[in-house]
Amino acid sequence: MIKLRAPLFITRHVLFALVAGGLGGVVFMFFLIEFDHFTSSNEFCLSCHSMTYADDFYRQSVHYNSPSGVRASCGDCHVSEGIIMATYDHAVGTKDLIKQLFGPDYDDPVINTLHLPEAAFAARDWFRKRDSATCKRCHTQEAILGTRANTAAIHQEDAQGKTCVDCHINLVHRPVPERQTFKRAAWNSMVEEEFALEPGAAAALLGEH
Amino acid sequence: MKHPILLLVLCVTGALAQAAKVELDPSHWGHPEGENCVSCHAKASPGLAEQWRESAHQRAGVNCLDCHQADSADVDAITHEGQVIATIVSPKDCGRCHQQEFEEQAGSVHAEAHAIISERVPALAHNLTGAAMQAAGCDQCHGSRVKVRGDGSLDPTTWPNSGIGRINPDGSKGSCSSCHGRHAFSKAQAREPDACVRCHSGPDSPDKEVFEASKHGMIYKANREAMNLDADTWIAGQDYKAAPTCVTCHMGGAGKIPSTHDVGLRNAWSLNTPVSARQYLVVLESGEKLELPADQKPPKRGSELTKADGGTGKVKMVVGPDRRRQIMSMVCLECHGKTFTASFMDQFDAVVQLYNGKFGEPAAAIMKGLYEQGLLTPLPFDEPLEFIYWELWHDEGARARHGAAMMSPNHAWWEGMYLVGRNFYSRFLPEARAVAGGAAAELVDSVLARSDHHRWQSSPDAANPILGWSPPPRLEPDTSELEESADPSGQSPRAGAEAQAVAPMTEAVPVSPASEGRGDD
Repeated sequence: MIKLRAPLFITRHVLFALVAGGLGGVVFMFFLIEFDHFTSSNEFCLSCHSMTYADDFYRQSVHYNSPSGVRASCGDCHVSEGIIMATYDHAVGTKDLIKQLFGPDYDDPVINTLHLPEAAFAARDWFRKRDSATCKRCHTQEAILGTRANTAAIHQEDAQGKTCVDCHINLVHRPVPERQTFKRAAWNSMVEEEFALEPGAAAALLGEH
Repeated sequence: MKHPILLLVLCVTGALAQAAKVELDPSHWGHPEGENCVSCHAKASPGLAEQWRESAHQRAGVNCLDCHQADSADVDAITHEGQVIATIVSPKDCGRCHQQEFEEQAGSVHAEAHAIISERVPALAHNLTGAAMQAAGCDQCHGSRVKVRGDGSLDPTTWPNSGIGRINPDGSKGSCSSCHGRHAFSKAQAREPDACVRCHSGPDSPDKEVFEASKHGMIYKANREAMNLDADTWIAGQDYKAAPTCVTCHMGGAGKIPSTHDVGLRNAWSLNTPVSARQYLVVLESGEKLELPADQKPPKRGSELTKADGGTGKVKMVVGPDRRRQIMSMVCLECHGKTFTASFMDQFDAVVQLYNGKFGEPAAAIMKGLYEQGLLTPLPFDEPLEFIYWELWHDEGARARHGAAMMSPNHAWWEGMYLVGRNFYSRFLPEARAVAGGAAAELVDSVLARSDHHRWQSSPDAANPILGWSPPPRLEPDTSELEESADPSGQSPRAGAEAQAVAPMTEAVPVSPASEGRGDD
């Protein structure tokens, strides 16, 4: 009879450490899953006051009020699928937290709107880099039929080589032009008009940060 | 083809009497990415794609992107499926190929349609009704000042709009789609009188109704299939001869007259003003144009003038009203005799002068006096008299003059000058006297006394058969006859005789044999 014998270096202490480490690892994984899940929820995202401005538009959108009853949360669109990428996104996302704490006063609606375009550009870059992976989590391109006769044909024939956000932007949040045609001066004067500020006030506010 | 007026004045050859051919090298047309636009839009908006597919643009190889392509720096540039485009294709964009048409319309009265009413809009659209009316009303004909919002979208209070004087984000004025409906840009459609109807109908410029009620309109309707509306060139008397449309007289090529996209070019009179004026057409160095009343001294070449938009420009050329009339008349000559044409113009001029002298000028003078004396507030439309005066010249007065200009007797008289007279005597003067109060003799009656036009009112006991009653004959105080003459049927032998004696004098229009022209009516 062959006797299974652990290698000599596996001492009792090592065995204990392996078991403890393994259990700890499992617990950590569960923690990560729960952490990612929690930090992807609307409740968590909206716990920053500044995010309520994004929420206002989100609540008007079809992604909040879809006819099918499916509702996409912040994380459904903005956090990658899978524990590793989700954790990575959250790690990178902590810069938002740091900015919120030490950056401009994003809670101020004027400051928030003035900085919105850069946030939109970054988000669009993020979507493009991942081939709109989070869109495709719910929407299967081949299965898109649409309410108009030719929506399916367009998605099968004319969307080749494109990713969702190449065509579909400004669906959920406040509309912002693409970086290529964005004009800061025009955006600033729109904000000034909207919040009844003096001409030039927007540029001054941006300059402070 | 930079100076179409020069061409007109120099009487160029008939070969030029057609729309200019586009000059841009056709190898620049057919942007390869445009194929993708078509592929998707054939599915996403098949209506517009199909219009384009059947258009002359498509046959020439011009696709969506050739017209809609924009530069990132353009005020209204947006990204769309990876392409930088602009939603609005302005006359400047069309002018990339259709340069001559762009330059002609750029200085025209059409292009200035927004500027012409910009001072009226607050009083009419905003005070009288509400700001929302501007977008759906005024701006749809006169054009909006299109505003691009900070987020790149077109402000919905200013767009959609295809008003003829639209101020585009690129600074150009006008909208080719006002007449050439997008995306077919059909020549035939723009040659139809219906192309003008959206704006030139209704109370103040009832040109649709006037045309339809005129001999020209009747003949057009009966012979529409003979109009050759799809022809490449459309020269009156050459490509068609059945009837004229709006385009024929105001824009079309005819004989030595080249076609023009300056639709007001041939108008000798201003017909939509309180008092009509014969007008110079002033061409500026910049190619822009403006109109000045001919009772002022014509501006000298090289002198500086203030434009409608407040800027200044140097005078390059002045075209007098006679020359403008001559050009218009040369269109008539394709189908009418010289004397016939000249006499028709005389009839038209006489109506405008009558309107001016009898109603336009006195009414304006009375209003001026009331404003100056503080009897009317300067604020428009806060007093009944202001409405009465506005309708007098803007609605009824304009209708009378347009009716005479385009040969609808019904509009000249019943829809026009009859209403002007009724308004003037039964509404305007009584209200003006009431407003003037004790100053009525000075501010109202003295103005009327300056001309003979109103002297008929000083014979209140003149015969009255038209209303079925005549005053009792003074020389025969027989009571039985008095009763008879009060009979509403107006059967008094004397009244009847008077009516017969008067009627031929007022109704007969003397026709001289010379005005028959070549008998080609």
